[in-house]
This record gives sequence, structure tokens and C-alpha cells, in this order.
Amino acid sequence: MTEQVGAETLRTYEQINEKIKVGDAIVVTADEFVAHVQDRGLDTVAREVDVVTTGTFGAMCSSGAFLNFGHSEPPIKMFKCWLNDVPAYKGLAAVDAYIGATAMSESEGFDYGGGHVIEDLVSRKEVELRAEAYGTDCYPRKAIETTIVLDDLNQAVLVNPRNAYEHYNAATNSTDRILYTYMGTLLPDYGNVTYSGAGQLSPLYKDKNFETIGIGTRILLGGGIGYVIGEGTQHSPQNEFGTLMVRGDLKQMKPRYLRGATYYRYGTSLYVGVGIPIPIINLRVAESAALPDDQIFTNILDYGVPSRSRPAVKKGSYADLKLGKVVINGRSIPTSPLSSFKYAKEIAEALKAWMKEGLFFLSRPAELLPNQREFKPLEVRRHELRVKDIMTAKVTTAKPNDDVRTIASLIVRNGVDHVPIVDDDNRLVGIVTSWDLAKALAQGKSKLEEVMTTKVITAQENESGDVVARRLAQRNISGMPVVDDARKVIGIVTTDDLAKLLRKWKE
Amino acid sequence: MKLRLLYTRSNVSNPVLSDIVLKTGVPINILEAKVSLNGGEMVVDVPATGVKLDEVRELFEKASVSAKEIKAVIEIDYERCISCGACVSPCPVQAITQKTEWDVELDEGRCIRCLICVNACPVRAIRSP
Repeated sequence: MTEQVGAETLRTYEQINEKIKVGDAIVVTADEFVAHVQDRGLDTVAREVDVVTTGTFGAMCSSGAFLNFGHSEPPIKMFKCWLNDVPAYKGLAAVDAYIGATAMSESEGFDYGGGHVIEDLVSRKEVELRAEAYGTDCYPRKAIETTIVLDDLNQAVLVNPRNAYEHYNAATNSTDRILYTYMGTLLPDYGNVTYSGAGQLSPLYKDKNFETIGIGTRILLGGGIGYVIGEGTQHSPQNEFGTLMVRGDLKQMKPRYLRGATYYRYGTSLYVGVGIPIPIINLRVAESAALPDDQIFTNILDYGVPSRSRPAVKKGSYADLKLGKVVINGRSIPTSPLSSFKYAKEIAEALKAWMKEGLFFLSRPAELLPNQREFKPLEVRRHELRVKDIMTAKVTTAKPNDDVRTIASLIVRNGVDHVPIVDDDNRLVGIVTSWDLAKALAQGKSKLEEVMTTKVITAQENESGDVVARRLAQRNISGMPVVDDARKVIGIVTTDDLAKLLRKWKE
Repeated sequence: MKLRLLYTRSNVSNPVLSDIVLKTGVPINILEAKVSLNGGEMVVDVPATGVKLDEVRELFEKASVSAKEIKAVIEIDYERCISCGACVSPCPVQAITQKTEWDVELDEGRCIRCLICVNACPVRAIRSP
């Protein structure tokens, strides 16, 4: 097809709006559209259907609201401000603030955050406002404590820098402990898989070439009217990770579709409901809107690897994930979503109903969003300590059938607390500590293999010092062998090494 | 049936539970236990019904261990629940499932009160009473 991006060859925005006005528009949800196209073919259905409605309802951390409190008597230029004890951003004019979803209460921490403040405001609950100032000739007041409700505010505008991810990676955990992540609770040893995104209802999959969604697209946001105001942060459409920046009047929104959330030991967030109408302006848009769950894929990543680039364990479609089970390493593993398919469907249905009743009209975007965007990492340019900078490279090792007494005296002679046990190729097979040896001597054991720990926690030389310090603390151990990819021992890193470093840094 | 057992200072050191398991042959499973010199509290699952269950309860009574039935193991507040599923796959015994319309359902019989779901719920809709 040589049609231009956004070509209105099947119908124009004006024609659709005319039909909405008289109640003749054919509007279906993305679920219905997928089923119709599978039954009767793309060409036929694309000619009949004017608009496909989409929906998604998930935790969207890059969300928040600009608030204008109005001026008190005497007035204050707020320098710091808190809403229900959650700090709001005050690097703006006197009584403007931005409350972000992931900001956390200074008294309640994880249990209450900016997302909850937004939910409480939309629920018309009273919210405590506290602010401090340094006082100026034009703004003499230095402190204020009062309560506000949403309708007191001059403006309360939800402005979310990144919403409605086209799709998201699924998560699992290869380690031997429970992980608490922004992908929810991940059980050890690939115990479960969590995933996010609305699959075939997801707004950005239904216009994956960005032919209709752009700056000025009218949408359903938090149960009220909102607009797309640009590409979202980390927009990466070529990788099917498109995102949106959106805004909407908080006063029109409903608490059902804006829900404060806490991810255990991760932080607070906000569940946001987004519904976007996709006008079927040409066949390419129709083809995209007809994408079914079994053709929308995501990678299941191992969140047990504490790195920016986590390895993919498996690739699966949303149809696979929705079955509630996937097979990993020959085992059937339970899957479950984190975003709500029930609410996503409800949002797509609501948008459809609004259009059928003539309450919602389409807007042609002032500018379409880019369908190519580089996604760059953050390079750490300062020198950062790595394991190889901290570790002791000269390691006292032993063999499994070495004698306990010999190694005990070696420990005393070398003044070490940890002895990695290696095979003939210097590959790690176990570890003993001075405590293990004392116990072994007391119990009259003779060979190291009888007393060694075989499940050894290890480090790699390129890991950052921070990550390794955290691992030592988490495992409640005082040292770890450093191994290469073949598990050959190349060093050891202990809490003594870290203490030495701290002393050096203090001097 | 799940029971909450309360031991007193005078019977906490007796092997009451083991005696009952041996006497009745019911494989009682300990779900939670807090024991000190001054007494103890346990939550157990008794996989028995009818006469057998009555027998177990009577034996606890005889040993002066209070055994009260726990009706709700966890409670889901459906007013708050957003049917997301964040509690479903973390449940280690698949006691929580989602059916066709994605509504979350709890099978109390399977629940082992590990309370992983309580923390996994992003909107705090699950509580342990």
C-alpha cells in the first residue's frame, strides 16, 4: 500500500462525527472487532465499522497531578508542601504543586503515597495540606496547615508523562528467595509468572503504526475526558513499547478508574484507566485493530538478575499468558496479570456507550506521534567500584577430600575466615568457614566434604560493589567467592574488604 | 476445617497435638505456631469431617486446649478489589483463581494462611481476620 500515514481513505473524522451526532456510528470494542474480523474477514468488517474502542487499566507509575491551591491571607510562596504527609513537587510558582504517584508518605511510607492522594481527592475526601516557606516581602507567610477538597482547587489536572505502555515484559524469578518487585510478588525457582498490559484491548496495539493517535487525540482518562499531549517518556514504538503522555481534568474523573496502589516492598503507584477510540480510517489501521491476543507477544524476563538487561526465559503470546499456565524448563508454571482485564474491557465498553449516545466525539490529532524512537540507556561515567576493585585475588582454597585439621591450621596461618572448596580445575564446589571447621573438629569429622556448604552464594567480578554489599546483607553472610563464567574461583569478597574500603573512604 | 488452638502455661509442654494425631490417625497440619513458656497459639488444618472431626475436637477439649474454628482464613473486600490478578499466581497452593470474567475467587479449603496474597494485593483488598 502506498497510502500516506494517517490517510483517511475509508472514512474521515468529520464523517464519523456526523454519524455519532445522529446516532448512526458503528462502534465496537477491540475484543468484538477481533472476533468479527476472524468471522467475516478484514475487508468486509473494515468497511462497516467506524470506530474500535480500546481500554487498559494498570499501575502507571509515571502519573501525577498539577494542583493550584489558590492564595491564602496573608499569602505564602510554598517552598515545601505535603498532602496527607506525602511530599509534592514545589519547584513551581507560589501555590502550584505536582503530586506524583510514587511519592510516599513521610509517616506511613509504603502504605500511602501520591497515588492514594489522587484517589482520595477524586473521591472528594478531605486532604490535609501542609506547607513551609522562607517568607518574602511579597509572600510574608512562612507556614500553613489546612485541609482541601478537590472542588476547592482552581485547577487539578492529571498530567501523566508515561501511560498506556503498548505491552510490557512478563516476569519470573530464578533465585531461591521471594522477590517483591514492581511486577508483583515473584515466588522462588520460577514459582510463578506475572504480566501486565491489556493484550488485544491495548490502545497502542490497535494503532501500532501511529496513524490516528497523536497530540490532541481525545480519550477516556480516569473515567473522564482526557487528551493525548504527546509521546510518553521511553516511547519505543519500533519495539512495540509505545507510550503516551496524557492530561485530563481531575474534577471530571471517577475514583473507580484512578486507584492508589502499593507494590509490597517496592513502592506506591496509581492504577489509571485509559480508553482510546481508534477510527478505522484506512485498511492498515483496520489490520492493526484486528490483531488478536495470539499475535501479540511478550518476553518472560528473569527478575532474579539484578541488571538493566534481564535475560528472557521464554517468549509467549497474551493468549498463552491468559490461559493461566506456561511451561518453563518442562514445568507448568502459574501465570496471572497485574493489570485488570475486567476494568480494561469495562473502559472499552464505556467509551463505546458514550459514542453511541452522542456524548463523545473524535478529534483529528494536530500532529501524529513518531513511530521510530531511539531508547537510550544511562551510562555511568563516574568511576564506580566493582567487585574486582574490592575483592582479594589471592584466595586460600582447598579440595573436598582435604583433612579438616590441615585446613584448620591453614586458616589460622593465613588469617582468613572463608575457604572456597574447588575441584581439580579450580571450579567451585563448596565453601567452609572458620566456624564450620571449629564445629567439625568438635564433632570429630575428618574430611572437608562432610562439613562444607555446597550451595554457595557467589559474586562476579563485574558486578557493582553496591549490589554485592546488598547480597551479603540479605543472605546474612560475611563473604562470597568471586567466580568467572565457568565457576572458576578468581577471588573472594568479604565484609572485611568492605569495612577496609569504608575506612579508606572516611580518611 | 481450620482450628485456632490456644495452649496455656500448664499444657504448653505436653505433646497434645502428636497424641491426637496418633490416637485418631488424622494427619493434622500445622499452619502457624507461636509457642513460649507462658502458652502458645497454633493454627492447624484438620482434614476430617463428621465423627472423626468431633473426636479430634473433643480430645483437644480433654487436654484443656481451646480449639475454635476459623471460619474465614482470609477476606477479600470486593468493593476494593479491581480483579487484577496480582494475588493469583503468587498463591503457592492455587487457592486463588480467576474465572472467565477475571473475578478473583478464593477456595478456603486449599488456603494455608501463608498470607502472601495479603501483601501481593496492590489495593489492600485482602485481609486476614
